[in-house]
Amino acid sequence: MRRPTPLALITLTLMTAALAGTAHAAPKKISGYGTLGVTTGKQGGTYTLPLGDSPQSLFYYGVIDNNLGLVSQQLFDGLLEFNLATYKLEPALAESYTVSDGGTTYTFKLRQDVKWSDGQTFDADDVVFTYKNIIMNPEARAGDAASFKLDGKPVEISRVNQYTVKFELPRPSPAFLLQMRSFIMPKHKLLKFSEEGGAKPSDINGAWPTNSPESDVVGTGPFKLATYTAGQKVTLVRNPNYWKVDAAGTRLPYLDRLEFLIIRDPQAQVAQFLAGNLDQLNVSGAQFPDLKGKEVAGAPFKIMRSTALFGSPPFVAYNFDAKDPALAKVFSDVRFRRAMQGALNRERIIDTVYNGLASLPGHGVAPINKQWYANTKAQLGSFNVAATGQALDAMGLSKKNSAGIRLLPGGKPLEFDLTYATDSSTYPAMATIIQSDFAKAGVKVNLRGILNSKLFSTGLSGDWEMILHGFGDQPDPELRKPIWQPGGALYYWHRSLQPAKDGDKPNIAKMAAWEKDIYTIFEKAATTTNVGERKALYTRWQLLFAQNLPVTPIAKPENIGAVSNKYGNYVYNLGVIPGYNPVPLIYQK
Amino acid sequence: MLNFTIRRILGMIPTLLLISVVCFTVIQMQPGSFVDQYLDDPRVTKETVANITRQLGLDQPLWVQYLTWMKGIVTQGDFGFSFASGRPVSSLIWERLGWTVFLALLTLLVSWAIAVPLGIYTALNRYSKRSAALNFFGYVSLATPDFLVALLLIALVLKWGGSNVGGLFSPQFIDAPWSAAKVLDLMNHLWIPMIAIGLEGVAGLMRQMRASMLDVTGQDYVRTARAKGLAERQVMWKHAVRNAVNPLISLAGLSLPSLISGTIIASIVLNLPTIGPFLYDSLLNKDQYVAMTLLLFSALLLLIGNLLSDLALAWADPRVRFE
Repeated sequence: MRRPTPLALITLTLMTAALAGTAHAAPKKISGYGTLGVTTGKQGGTYTLPLGDSPQSLFYYGVIDNNLGLVSQQLFDGLLEFNLATYKLEPALAESYTVSDGGTTYTFKLRQDVKWSDGQTFDADDVVFTYKNIIMNPEARAGDAASFKLDGKPVEISRVNQYTVKFELPRPSPAFLLQMRSFIMPKHKLLKFSEEGGAKPSDINGAWPTNSPESDVVGTGPFKLATYTAGQKVTLVRNPNYWKVDAAGTRLPYLDRLEFLIIRDPQAQVAQFLAGNLDQLNVSGAQFPDLKGKEVAGAPFKIMRSTALFGSPPFVAYNFDAKDPALAKVFSDVRFRRAMQGALNRERIIDTVYNGLASLPGHGVAPINKQWYANTKAQLGSFNVAATGQALDAMGLSKKNSAGIRLLPGGKPLEFDLTYATDSSTYPAMATIIQSDFAKAGVKVNLRGILNSKLFSTGLSGDWEMILHGFGDQPDPELRKPIWQPGGALYYWHRSLQPAKDGDKPNIAKMAAWEKDIYTIFEKAATTTNVGERKALYTRWQLLFAQNLPVTPIAKPENIGAVSNKYGNYVYNLGVIPGYNPVPLIYQK
Repeated sequence: MLNFTIRRILGMIPTLLLISVVCFTVIQMQPGSFVDQYLDDPRVTKETVANITRQLGLDQPLWVQYLTWMKGIVTQGDFGFSFASGRPVSSLIWERLGWTVFLALLTLLVSWAIAVPLGIYTALNRYSKRSAALNFFGYVSLATPDFLVALLLIALVLKWGGSNVGGLFSPQFIDAPWSAAKVLDLMNHLWIPMIAIGLEGVAGLMRQMRASMLDVTGQDYVRTARAKGLAERQVMWKHAVRNAVNPLISLAGLSLPSLISGTIIASIVLNLPTIGPFLYDSLLNKDQYVAMTLLLFSALLLLIGNLLSDLALAWADPRVRFE
């Protein structure tokens, strides 16, 4: 063995020093997901997923498009992301963060070894650019400007040095960190479309149309865009610069290619999955028995059930501002809503509509959300039409006409429309069950079917009496404030509370006492940084919700995913949840 | 003939203008707005809605929207842009036109090649058992919607363990360069849409041809042809079929607009990258310039189809030519 020369020794020492110096810039190690069945995988392979339609653009903030979101999730990252098992926030592109000044200053230290997929260095300029020109830009169609204005005052973002950015908030906002999951975009590619680059603020929407060169779409995500074949397929290939490694130190993602086949029809997706052209598919409770039967019979795939945090639990709502004043009065009466809950056969809906793959719902918070859920099961009551009848009698709705329908105080029958989506796999069956059970209590429900895509706009328009709808659950109730806070933009069952202009104070004078309570709870929780206090506030909100039923939740469906046996480390993901992406861990066996 | 063609083409312009006004009015009468589909996204506030509405020019009065669109077409051949993707409508249509035309022409060809001989056969052997069977088959396939046939075929292929269930290619060939293997893969996928979409056409055309053939075989000139001692084969092909096929030529012209709107549901079920689903989406979401351009295009195809079939008829039928 040759003795090392002094020069070599010095070089070695320098290198060690350099390594020690950059030790804090090491890639993020992904480990500790044993509970989810995650093991060490091996490199290589192609994984094929369905896409419900062609993405409308390749620029995430230019169009609100679920299909684009699914692809973007693999191309971009945010400063923070969710822990896949606990849904707690943890560092992603940011390596660490500090909160100071009583919860009004957030300082993020960025990872120093992150490169864009074209080799350029990722740094604070990209973060500041993304937030200033895109996310906070009210002209960006899929931006989020409203979340960065608190009490009408903007959040300030600034670059501290090449790898540090600072956000200054006008007031404390405990859910602010959740906004930090937003995807960061490359400044060097998008500058020319931005206000900073001399374009009009709305020009940003025109960035990266679907016919732009693949090499323009540059991200920090696990994959990069390889080809897009209009109407047929989006192909992504492994980003060799990705900043995550597995427990053994192997660079992620394991897969070489990730392909999205564009298949519009859900039945066609199932057929393609059965034919082996798709490797993973999220299915509904209605499709479960057939696929499970095939699995048991030896088909080369597995059906996995998981209790869901995300996903939209259905509810029924009554229009407090219904056009018919007599109906509006009955709908606004909590006794009516509670009485009708007794005629809501949750067990039957769970059994027949979801094939047993659903459970009793929470009130605004998914029961699996251990951090915030308060047990409100007792308030759900049980199915008892006789009790509903008695409660309605007690309300003064005891008179019936010859057809057995109860009469309103004015003498008109208690009859109203139930608006639901006809093109959903679950709503039509639920609507029929509700109709027949309500009839037993002397309440006549007429079904009014519309398209799923029109359900929400119909809700907002106020042109409905009873509606069957659902809003997605989120990890933090603050994120659902516009839905559940009376007077919020999405609190559409009591529209007369909404302010004339977004951001103004709602019509508090018209609120019921319990609505005022809930309103105050959300106002307080939005500025309280103490976790214990927030928990107490949200617990009280859930109880008020369960007792007063602004809407009546029906069930919480489980998430069901089917995955080919060729792949390991499958973890269910609902779809576009920025910051929740288990795909880098998937490997081909 | 040239004079006739030019007159017909000039006559199309006012018709198209009228059609464009009707299309625009009908689309505007549909309730709701393009922005509605985004309302349940928590990022979308009233301000966002107002901004998008302004960016898309939907805050302008309707007649301004219409005239701006028309002006773009006339002065720059610009058919507006898609609200959804922000791209010019013409480039989006162009992207999908290739496969649409390919599939439509192929189905047309296949259904003609099968239907015409079958129609002749069933007309000539009116009372045979085989004809009865073919006629029954005709009724059934006419009465079965194309998407149902498509679903049945998919179920059948799955049962046999095949993987060619929908689409035009296996996943690995979609973005691969053309090769013998890719063509083979295409053929392997193509037969399902050919049967599903073509079957309905076959049944219709076959019955048309049969009726027309029955009509013609009873004519005096057929009897005369027989009487003067022509061979039966010559009577049939030169005198009967030649005349019986004329109505079908007009029919072919009318089927040109089905390029766009003919097979929407089957295209969705079979996952074909054609224009049909694109039109369907634009109508649902009120993506007005896409919908209007496609409807206008479809009307134009109808007019062109009519013109072409008139010209073809003139070529095939001397009586039309001499008038």
